[in-house]
Amino acid sequence: MADTHALQAHDAHGDHAHDGHGHVTGWRRYLFSTNHKDIGTLYLVFALISGVIGTLLSGVMRLELQEPGIQIFHGLASMVYGYGAGDAAAALDAGKHMFNVFTTAHALIMIFFMVMPALIGGFANWFVPLMIGAPDMAFPRMNNISFWLLPPALLLLIMSMFFEGPAGAHGVGGGWTIYPPFSTSGQPGPAMDFAILSLHIAGASSILGAINFITTIFNMRAPGMTLHKMPLFPWSVLVTAFLLLLSLPVLAGGITMLLTDRNFGTTFFDPAGGGDPVLFQHLFWFFGHPEVYILILPGFGIVSHIVSTFSRKPIFGYMAMVYAMIAIGGVGFIVWAHHMYTTGLSLNVQRYFVAATMVIAVPTGVKIFSWIATMWGGSITFRTPMLWALGFIFLFTVGGVTGVILANAGADRALHDTYYVVAHFHYVLSLGAVFAIFAAWYYWYPKMFGIMYNETLANIHFWITFVGVNLVFFPQHFLGLSGMPRRYIDYPDAYAFWNRVSSVGYYITFAGLLLFLFILFLSARQRVKAPANPWGEGATTLEWTLSSPPPFHQFETLPRIDAKSDH
Amino acid sequence: MAGKFLRSIGVALSAAFAPTLARAAEGQPSPGEIGMQDSVTPIADSIHVFHNGILLWTAVLISLLVLALLIVVIVRFNARSNPTPAKFSHNTLVEVIWTALPVIILVVIAIPSFAVLTDQMTMPDGQRKYLGSNIFSFGSVDVPAPAVTVKVTGSQWYWTYEYVDQQKSFDSTLLDEATRLAQTPVQPRLLAVDNMLVVPVNATVRVQVTAADVIHAFAVPSFGIITDAVPGRLNETWFNSRKEGVFYGQCRELCGKDHAFMPIAVRVVSAEAYAAWMAAFQAGSIADANATLPPLSAAPAA
Amino acid sequence: MAAAAHAKPNHDYHLVNPSPWPLVGSVSAFVLAVGAIIFFKARKGDAMMLFGSDLAAAGPWVMLIGFAGVLYTMYAWWSDVVKESVTGDHTPVVQMHHRYGMILFIASEVMFFVAWFWAYFDQFFRHDDVEQYARVEAMGTTWPPIGVELFDPFHLPLFNTLILLTSGTTVTWAHHALIHNDKNGLKAGLWLTIILGALFSVVQVIEYTRAGFPFAGNIYGASFFMATGFHGFHVLIGTIFLTVCLVRAYVGNLTQKHHLGFEFAAWYWHFVDVVWLFLFAAIYVWGSWGVAINH
Ligand code: HEA
Ligand code: HEA
Ligand code: CUA
Ligand SMILES: [Cu+2]
Repeated sequence: MADTHALQAHDAHGDHAHDGHGHVTGWRRYLFSTNHKDIGTLYLVFALISGVIGTLLSGVMRLELQEPGIQIFHGLASMVYGYGAGDAAAALDAGKHMFNVFTTAHALIMIFFMVMPALIGGFANWFVPLMIGAPDMAFPRMNNISFWLLPPALLLLIMSMFFEGPAGAHGVGGGWTIYPPFSTSGQPGPAMDFAILSLHIAGASSILGAINFITTIFNMRAPGMTLHKMPLFPWSVLVTAFLLLLSLPVLAGGITMLLTDRNFGTTFFDPAGGGDPVLFQHLFWFFGHPEVYILILPGFGIVSHIVSTFSRKPIFGYMAMVYAMIAIGGVGFIVWAHHMYTTGLSLNVQRYFVAATMVIAVPTGVKIFSWIATMWGGSITFRTPMLWALGFIFLFTVGGVTGVILANAGADRALHDTYYVVAHFHYVLSLGAVFAIFAAWYYWYPKMFGIMYNETLANIHFWITFVGVNLVFFPQHFLGLSGMPRRYIDYPDAYAFWNRVSSVGYYITFAGLLLFLFILFLSARQRVKAPANPWGEGATTLEWTLSSPPPFHQFETLPRIDAKSDH
Repeated sequence: MAGKFLRSIGVALSAAFAPTLARAAEGQPSPGEIGMQDSVTPIADSIHVFHNGILLWTAVLISLLVLALLIVVIVRFNARSNPTPAKFSHNTLVEVIWTALPVIILVVIAIPSFAVLTDQMTMPDGQRKYLGSNIFSFGSVDVPAPAVTVKVTGSQWYWTYEYVDQQKSFDSTLLDEATRLAQTPVQPRLLAVDNMLVVPVNATVRVQVTAADVIHAFAVPSFGIITDAVPGRLNETWFNSRKEGVFYGQCRELCGKDHAFMPIAVRVVSAEAYAAWMAAFQAGSIADANATLPPLSAAPAA
Repeated sequence: MAAAAHAKPNHDYHLVNPSPWPLVGSVSAFVLAVGAIIFFKARKGDAMMLFGSDLAAAGPWVMLIGFAGVLYTMYAWWSDVVKESVTGDHTPVVQMHHRYGMILFIASEVMFFVAWFWAYFDQFFRHDDVEQYARVEAMGTTWPPIGVELFDPFHLPLFNTLILLTSGTTVTWAHHALIHNDKNGLKAGLWLTIILGALFSVVQVIEYTRAGFPFAGNIYGASFFMATGFHGFHVLIGTIFLTVCLVRAYVGNLTQKHHLGFEFAAWYWHFVDVVWLFLFAAIYVWGSWGVAINH
């Protein structure tokens, strides 16, 4: 870690009248913002709203899956799309499709509009400049459009649910992977076009954001902060930004092909015109696999800081941590076809992807063990962020090792497209990335908003969520092993038991979410002022040298990092 | 084996919660199950042993190792037991160990992994030996060359089975609930079909898979097979069931509103029964053929 | 704007004033997206029902409004950038930002083209993949595919290659002139580059009209036209970019020391050039290697 005890020039200005340069007030402050902290806040609010929407969608899915049979969706479909009482069969069909629409929207919202905006748009916007000692992002105005492209993108996705998809039904039910021909000839209505353009716009937002972060990190580090002294969170964001920059355009190309196949008669994915449906899967996963590391790498960075802060010990193996992230990012580009073992890849191609995929366990293990070694010998206090970080380390490991199981094409034959995969990726996402988000939220909340939260309630929030999500997703391993396919609105009765457990887990998790919202409300009402550094001597990065909240423009005199500090 | 032990917990748990617990059945999931459906082919055997014997153990032990280390850290290095933190941040030896050890583990996994995969991807020619449940041997199970070739076509939302050599085909569709309850209640809900795919026991069946509209996937867990049904593309897989009975599977690639409602049912019968069935099919209709088979309640499903 | 009454910070970064353009731009992008869908459906004669009313009746207008909004945003935004560049906000470190930004943007563009090359190579290398029986049925196992008459690469395509290569040198000429403060050389070099760029586009259009394969219904046509078409679109953008530089050269706000806009136009132009070389080598030359071309 950059040793910032050696900091020479604090930002001495504190809070005083910094309302000159570019500080407009009222609604313009946010709508026209060029301030990385305000934009970060916008992103966080957006992510929170999307997170609630995504959670509600998954709630309806779990409610439906709680019992065998179809209980919810035919009624929901008649309510939303207005099927009359005499139209029971039509409502049932619409309901079946609607379940897939919910699955699709749930995934896209959680990934593109919750995790990415929270980790990259929110926390990285807030803290990359602070941690590298920069006054703002490199392109403050472009930063703003990165944010403002997201609400329209989300709106397009939500609008898609009200337009025709397959003949006679509404919305996109193709899963977040939108494989053709189901996403071309299978759903000819405009709904799919809305979803595609939603992804285009969200992708453009992310590419611009990636350019901004890379430039900021390469070019705006405080004097003396070499790359090898840069804290791990900016490092994780740097790697993430490269993944975004290089993978998203390929998705953009792929979904543009979908668009022209759908609307202009091209045949990229239509075998009748010489096209190849599997081509889309290659393009999608060439983006999609790096994407999953995009979702988790910033979390890795965050967890490193929290573990070090609350153990009051410097990061163990800083250099290895940095190179592990670079390795994960790099290898992440050459493993995509492990999502496609069953599509008819040749034996040799499958062998290659098995081997390449398993390699990623090595640098990831380095990170897990280095976190533990950071705590080893430490003097740990179990504040709320630390609980989430500990939960992250364990649960991400569980999700990671099931990933290694899936990586073996021979075993994936039993598990592909079953709930085992659903369990795997929720362990790394809903119990990995989301835990990292909550860890970061509680860690930086006092810094961002200048007020404290109720520690006891926050602890309870952690425990409720911990129990809840494990109850949701652990049984899904069993369902998957015994063969229950994903994206099913109804299942053979033998699967009833573990599905019921899973749904009960959801209700617990949802209670946790309500408690979280209450904690926010309570904190906003009580307004207990936060000190500049609530976490004590373990918190060594630059943001803790500033007031809470930091001044509108920090570091008007750049901090200097002592040359002889090491990690 | 760990799988068995865990499964007994699962069954016990579900016995406590689910009063209508049926006996574990072959070729279909059983209530509360926490492991894989029983295997009846050499390929599923090797998947089972590979998963239950190596992968599951590795995953469980690594998770437990991380958990144990976390607990040690929490107990020994909390602020109360250890008020002054150490300052170290390097230890080359442990770093080398925790890099090298996973590499070794992964190499050990990769060896059977490649072998299992190669078996799955290699059509039997009658000469080649297959691993079966001994995944570290270089093959000890004999598998005959394919005797039957079935072309499977997925459509929204049913399957078409074509016996390629006989050029006879029929459709297989989910039985609606009323019919199932009236005619064949032994078949599970959502898995019962009107016409099953019928194949002989102990014979190798070559399965060619394609689709007519969107992508589907042909999967039968007890056989250890899954192959995507991609329009315009012919994918191949194979199985050789050592048991008679009915083996169910389900479509495993999202294909639209009735993705959950296009099950697969394979009825494995004796060679004689198969011959009779096929003769009747060639002479008449699929209904005639199915009439040659004993009703399902009498079939040894478990 | 609001920069008054504020001590200048002790650093050279550019803390940009609040700006309405991002918001205007994203609202326009939204309108453009919705309008595009309406237009697509209207074009095909499909209905686009939302709670009982047919949006497709709106025709292309929504899209055009969105497009105008996007164009206006670009104009207004970049005008602000130009203004800031001449009022001293673009310190050396800020210029460095812009260089990074442009390089990274081009890197992402490269990956965008990777997708189109991927689609092309998928059929080029796998045209005889018998597993894909429907493809084989439609296009044959031969190369070129059934129903496709390839271009002679050493005819118009070669001519266009030479045009683009020449334009690469003329833009470098303009750059040198700028560095040596030779205003006339700058203008002449830019004029030439723009004319060559426009010529390229014209020739490309002519070539398209003579294509021996359709755009729709055929994978060769799809990947050929989309790959070269996106390239052509980039040529157009590059030409506009250079034209803006030419205008700025006349206005006089490209200076000997400070002319990032010009540099980026040149980088972009070279990028477009290199993409063409790949297209030319892979699709035109390699794709027709050993194939008898009759024309
Ligand atoms: C944050 C997101 C995230 C992350 C980090 C990962 C991480 C990994 N994933 Fe996962 N994955 C997804 C999200 C993610 N995945 C999603 C969303 C899908 C489904 C997409 C869809 O179809 O909709 C998916 C699907 C998926 C599949 C396809 C399954 C199928 O469809 O059949 C595979 C197969 O190889 C796979 C593998 C892996 C591997 C090997 C890792 C590795 O990176 C894990 C590495 C980590 C560890 C291994 C743990 C720590 C290591 C140690 C403690 C060291 C010692 C360990 C060993 C020696 C094993 N994933
Ligand atoms: C980040 C990604 C993410 C997250 C968090 C979740 C969270 C959840 N998911 Fe989801 N899910 C996916 C990604 C995610 N999922 C994907 C990619 C698929 C595959 C889709 C497909 O097949 O195409 C899927 C599919 C999927 C299925 C399978 C559907 C099917 O196959 O038909 C199910 C079923 O139970 C499910 C349930 C849940 C539940 C109960 C949660 C619960 O954990 C939700 C509980 C809520 C929280 C844990 C909190 C959420 C966070 C916030 C409120 C934000 C806070 C923000 C700030 C503090 C700034 N999900
Ligand atoms: Cu057919 Cu899913
Ligand atoms: Cu992956």
